[in-house]
Amino acid sequence: MLQLSSSLVLGYVACGLVCSWVYFRRYQVSRPPVGVFNGRDLALMVPLLILVPLLYLLLPLWLTAALWLLVTLSILSFTWEPLLPTRWSIWLVAVTLLASDCGVAFMGTRQNAFFAVNDFAVLVIVVGITNLWAQSGMKARDTALLALLLAPYDFITTIQLPLMSELLTRLSALPLAPLVAWSSGHTLPSIGLGDLLLAGVFPLVMRKAFGRLAGLVALGLALATIGVLLALPLQGGFPLMVVLGPLMGLQYLSWRRRGPERTTGRYLLEEPMPPRKAPCTLRQETR
Amino acid sequence: MLEAGLAQLRFAASILFGTRFSLWSLDQLIAALQATQREFGFLGAEGRELLGSPQLDEETRRAMQLRRFRSQAVRAAHETRYYQQLFERLGLDPGRIRYEEIARLPLTSKADLRRDPEAFVCRKAHPFLRVLTTGTTGWPTSVAFSTYELRVYAALTAISALFSGELTSEDIIQLSTSSRGMLGNACLVGAGAHLGALVYLAGVTEPAHALALLAEKHHLAGKKTRTSVLYTYPSYLGALIECGLALGYRPSDFGLERIFVGGEIVTEGLKVRSQQLFGDARVIEGGYGMTEIWPFGGQLCEQGHLHFEVSQGFLEVANLGTSAPALAGETGTLVATPFYPYRETTLLLRYGTGDVVQRLAEPLTCRLRHLPATSRLLGKVALSVQHGRGWTYPRQLAEALESLEEVPLPARYGYWAVPGGVAVEVVVREATQQVRRHIETGLEEQGVPLQALHLREDRSQLQHPMPLRGDLREHTFGPLTLDHPLSSERSVFPQAAEAMLKGAL
Repeated sequence: MLQLSSSLVLGYVACGLVCSWVYFRRYQVSRPPVGVFNGRDLALMVPLLILVPLLYLLLPLWLTAALWLLVTLSILSFTWEPLLPTRWSIWLVAVTLLASDCGVAFMGTRQNAFFAVNDFAVLVIVVGITNLWAQSGMKARDTALLALLLAPYDFITTIQLPLMSELLTRLSALPLAPLVAWSSGHTLPSIGLGDLLLAGVFPLVMRKAFGRLAGLVALGLALATIGVLLALPLQGGFPLMVVLGPLMGLQYLSWRRRGPERTTGRYLLEEPMPPRKAPCTLRQETR
Repeated sequence: MLEAGLAQLRFAASILFGTRFSLWSLDQLIAALQATQREFGFLGAEGRELLGSPQLDEETRRAMQLRRFRSQAVRAAHETRYYQQLFERLGLDPGRIRYEEIARLPLTSKADLRRDPEAFVCRKAHPFLRVLTTGTTGWPTSVAFSTYELRVYAALTAISALFSGELTSEDIIQLSTSSRGMLGNACLVGAGAHLGALVYLAGVTEPAHALALLAEKHHLAGKKTRTSVLYTYPSYLGALIECGLALGYRPSDFGLERIFVGGEIVTEGLKVRSQQLFGDARVIEGGYGMTEIWPFGGQLCEQGHLHFEVSQGFLEVANLGTSAPALAGETGTLVATPFYPYRETTLLLRYGTGDVVQRLAEPLTCRLRHLPATSRLLGKVALSVQHGRGWTYPRQLAEALESLEEVPLPARYGYWAVPGGVAVEVVVREATQQVRRHIETGLEEQGVPLQALHLREDRSQLQHPMPLRGDLREHTFGPLTLDHPLSSERSVFPQAAEAMLKGAL
């Protein structure tokens, strides 16, 4: 039986994943005009994923916070870009969200007022990054491979080494903590940003590659897995990718047997984006 | 994606700071563009803007071009015999030239280059290919290029083709250009290799042979079933149209989708008349290019202006009479200085191309308005005629004549100055009064001050024929068709077979 805090965390996660899904079908992020996410990016991404947490542990706290703030600001701005009509409104929303997060963080990063704001910010980040990856042509094959490679990494850094728990302890003391969490009594169920990104991007690339059903299955399985793990009375951190990684690999293999992966062009040809009313421009607003 | 980003940054650095291109980055860019096209089905305009020349205001453009001109002039003065002597004679420090002084430097003429082409080659360069022009206007001009330059040109051609979407890996490309037009052919073959398209050089053979090749069916995996792209000269395209219609070919006999024409004046009449033989195949005018100043050249915008990339070279228009900078609305010859890193072997400063254009009088409103522009090419100054009422250019005559069905393609004509204007001679199908009236009207509409018109029914009767690249024929032995092998092959084969049999026994 899920506790209230776990239910809230699962609710946030579900909200993030569904928002990513909806965003993917309704909005286009400004992807790099030249280049596609490919195997070589994957080969670079894995060592980076190993190095970045170490870097965050080694760098002074203020530098870590500044770097993370800049990265977040950039992510928030491109995520809001297709939704808001003007440049200043995009920056206003992004800066307001960051300022709110920083403001409540000063009152303490272990209280639910902070989590309420921070979880929302993390969800926007998840929506932005997963859509940037998926809309930049990330393949289901590469995503599944990344998830599989991260499974042993997650196991080692979470169970065998103190790396992940030290990192979360360090970053959770800062504004924009990279996790979705909710405090209830003496429990603090949480899920890290990295896990959320993988769980969020996989349904998108599966939808692009193999169709709506494949995407929905991936979405449902990710939510079910996270729900079950949150319900289990686990002590300490649990390496989510150990379960999600093989699950994604199996899904990919299963759908791949039915046919080749679609390119983005083919996907949009077969499933055109629904027509959407363009956001009104500043000039239209003033008329 | 990360490699593509790094390659873009490296490419942009060369464009912005004039540093040598990295061949790695060019290869990466092409691969990234192809991957993007495969994934998304198209390349967005943002990509073209990202890789194009920066949009600069007038002052910044002048400062940037002056910097590049000085740097190329210093290189030329230190490393080439011709410019070392020139700057010594002028007593000028090329590194301190001011913008307004550039126009006072003497022009480098075609004659200078023809006389001693090696005096223009950098001492430190590694020339690999000596390109000779086809020599339509006399003794061929010689320009040497390095392997780096050729690889850069092929890559830039491929990048341009990817953005325009005019060449794909499925295309089969026929080059009906002179085999001596080595540079253009090499760039296209190189671009084809980058893109994965199939390219073959058909040369400028008898039109019947070229048409048979175009009509040939192919069965190569991943390729179209017929030749889909043709590169040729306008005059040779005219010859193909005329010959094809006479032989009874129809548009359904071909699979052509695009016909790129360049190297001569391309007329609206030719584009329209091409439809009679090649149906919906689009005739695309290739802008302006010249071996001596390659790859600096003009690209056509939707309004028909020739625009020149500011990072590739310095463009001037010299008044026909005074050689001073032409004023807005005046005609003059193109004077070009290709910049490093596009040119590093044969260096030319203020090269007088001899090609006439008009300086635009109106402010630009087209897509490429951030780039300097001129009118379309009006013709070679050597083939233009000065008379009492001014100048008449080959384009005026070609446009008028090729739009008339009564004039066989390519339009063959000559003209010369007479009191009050020009006398024109032209080859027609039938010399009738009606044809005469049509031609007179057409020429007058193009502003030709016609004083006398001579209709000829045979091209051998022309007294001042305009040279056409389509006449640079490469001869073959006998009719080259699969059904009719060469007579020499027929006679040799039985003897060879007999000899083999004897040997086997």
